Amino acid sequence: MPKNILSVENLNGGYEVFVGRRRVFVHAVDDVTFSLHNNEVLGVAGESGCGKSTLAKMIYGAIIPPLLVKGGSISITTKGGEVLNINKLSIDEVRRKIWWIEISYIPQNSMNVLNPLKRIKDQFIDVFRYHGIKMDKTETVEHLRDTLTTLGLPPEVINAYPHQLSGGMRQRVVIALSLVFNPRIILADEPTTAVDVVTQRTILSLLKEWRENNKSSLVLISHDMSVHAYMDDRIAIMYAGNVVELGSSLDIFKEPLHPYTRALIESLIRKGDKSIRKGLAGQPPDLINPPPGCRFHPRCPYVMNICRSEEPVTTFLDNDRYVRCWLYTSSR
Amino acid sequence: MENENMLKIESVTKLYGYGILGLKKFKALDSVSMNVNLERPKIAVLAGETGSGKTTLLRIIMGIVKPEIGRVLYRGYDIHKLKGSTARWYRKEVQPIFQDPYEAFNPLRRVDSYFYDTVTNICGIKDKDEIMYRIDESLRFVGLSLDRVSGKYPHEFSGGELQRISIARALLTTPRILLADEPVSMLDATLRVGILNILKDLKEKLNMIIIYVTHDLSTAYYVGDDISVMYRGTLVEHGPISKVYQEPRHPYTSALLNSVLEPDPSLRDKYPAVKPSSLELKEFLIAGCRYANRCPYAKEICWTTLPPYIDVDGVNVRCWKHLDYKL
Ligand SMILES: Nc1ncnc2c1ncn2[C@@H]1O[C@H](COP(=O)(O)OP(=O)(O)OP(=O)(O)O)[C@@H](O)[C@H]1O
Ligand SMILES: Nc1ncnc2c1ncn2[C@@H]1O[C@H](COP(=O)(O)OP(=O)(O)OP(=O)(O)O)[C@@H](O)[C@H]1O
Ligand SMILES: [Mg+2]
Ligand SMILES: [Mg+2]
Repeated sequence: MPKNILSVENLNGGYEVFVGRRRVFVHAVDDVTFSLHNNEVLGVAGESGCGKSTLAKMIYGAIIPPLLVKGGSISITTKGGEVLNINKLSIDEVRRKIWWIEISYIPQNSMNVLNPLKRIKDQFIDVFRYHGIKMDKTETVEHLRDTLTTLGLPPEVINAYPHQLSGGMRQRVVIALSLVFNPRIILADEPTTAVDVVTQRTILSLLKEWRENNKSSLVLISHDMSVHAYMDDRIAIMYAGNVVELGSSLDIFKEPLHPYTRALIESLIRKGDKSIRKGLAGQPPDLINPPPGCRFHPRCPYVMNICRSEEPVTTFLDNDRYVRCWLYTSSR
Repeated sequence: MENENMLKIESVTKLYGYGILGLKKFKALDSVSMNVNLERPKIAVLAGETGSGKTTLLRIIMGIVKPEIGRVLYRGYDIHKLKGSTARWYRKEVQPIFQDPYEAFNPLRRVDSYFYDTVTNICGIKDKDEIMYRIDESLRFVGLSLDRVSGKYPHEFSGGELQRISIARALLTTPRILLADEPVSMLDATLRVGILNILKDLKEKLNMIIIYVTHDLSTAYYVGDDISVMYRGTLVEHGPISKVYQEPRHPYTSALLNSVLEPDPSLRDKYPAVKPSSLELKEFLIAGCRYANRCPYAKEICWTTLPPYIDVDGVNVRCWKHLDYKL
């Protein structure tokens, strides 16, 4: 059995917001359970707005209102072997003990997270200073140049302001920043959406190599199934706040079980393919008012009566493969 | 006049500063030319390396960035010299969808306010029901609705939702040209196909011209009619997309097409190895072909002289190989 370094159990959460004067809850992560093994790549795929980034923020412990954790637990085994419950720690403790050192987070739209008023070099120096790491300026700059060079960036970048860099360059700067403290877990939210395919492969290969050398684990969030095919050991498929299916990459691609996963795999366009695709009719649900029963039922081609009223239960096929769909419960 | 129905990008060069003081300059775009016949609806793909100048080119077409050399003519008007009502007219004709949707919306402003502004100010519609109808219709195009957008701020949406919202906003003025900078990069496959089909519809039913910037060469082929490939500020190849994919003429185009990842885990170990290049700026400064540094076919002349565009079987390409390394 592989060792787990992160376990997420029955996690529930979302955003408490006002619509007009009415207080509503956007239920973006609903009863999510999975574990992250030591030294693996776990992909998270799913539709736009299904809660992937919210899940990442919750794991990172970046719970800032209106984001709210309603229940469940997230536990992590640290470098020192200590087991910490991330959602029991105060934000200050999370910041000191977890961020950058145990878990690094490459946020979505990372091209946007850089401070527009500071040169790249000063942004790095701030992070070093924050963690009390003493490095003199020339040493930092040397270290920086090296990290940036491995990601295919010219050394001049350290003196640039963010607006002087293209989208893809800014993204690589943020990735470089996230690796500096050798974290055991990297949460990467759409790390290569803004770069060309050559650079994408370079970044992914570098992340792969870096991860293998450090025996770290990577949670890779992407809506791009080709990225998952290239990188993942296992994939979790999300739909409207639920993980609807989880399994090894080969299984998910070769034998998708959940009707959403099937539609997803069938919508993939390969290079040199012009045949008309339909995608999936209908819209992803509003998470303030998710449909009753299975959240996918309004778009599901195999919908049955039970799907309209009762939430599906999780069916385990083996330790590392499960699906959350009535089709598989009734047949058992 | 033949200019009447053309968008002409004439040998445009844009310089940006670099170095500590930004006093040294490099060419973010170097003599880029492109002609688009406005009477012929099409989806023109613009692909290329990160940082190769694609967004810069779109900004120049929108008129928000001015080139140092060259000009952009729209139906004969130099778009960097427009004033008053012609400037407003041009703004309606050409609509952008930005690469980064968070950049397109002010975080302190409600998202729906942009829609009301566009409909009333640019489209000049005053009837309240009609306004709501137009907005809702355009949002439904992209799988959302006015109900779900009303009263919310940008941070209350996921990346993909905001991207769809910015597409909906651009559609409000029914522009002639849509400049789409990575419009589907944040959507999953089931929705992405939907948006791409919308782009096709816009072309076929509303006769729009769409300049579609993308890194995703699979979807580019799915919707595209022709493709322009950029490398470090120069246009290296341009032609009908099926021809270019079948037989890429420029070595960079080949490299790009060979790097496309396929949605199949069993191919994982079959891709050619990649070498990170750390020479972005240095390549911008090469006097000749910017790709010389990485090109397996490079010879002396490639380093010193930028090759001219030549026509090889209906595809324009800038590569000395096709000229036997001679002028
Ligand atoms: N700050 C917020 N306030 C209110 N609702 C929010 C907020 N952030 C996200 N949401 C909503 O929560 C849901 C999940 O958003 P999330 O960003 O997790 O999606 P995602 O799966 O990462 O999507 P994408 O692929 O488009 O990035 C969406 O419906 C979104 O509208
Ligand atoms: N305002 C600016 N000042 C200085 N340099 C700039 C500025 N804007 C862009 N650049 C530089 O110009 C080059 C082209 O940038 P551009 O954003 O057009 O690239 P791109 O092709 O859109 O890249 P990507 O695919 O990563 O979005 C880059 O090297 C970038 O660093
Ligand atoms: Mg997201
Ligand atoms: Mg760009």
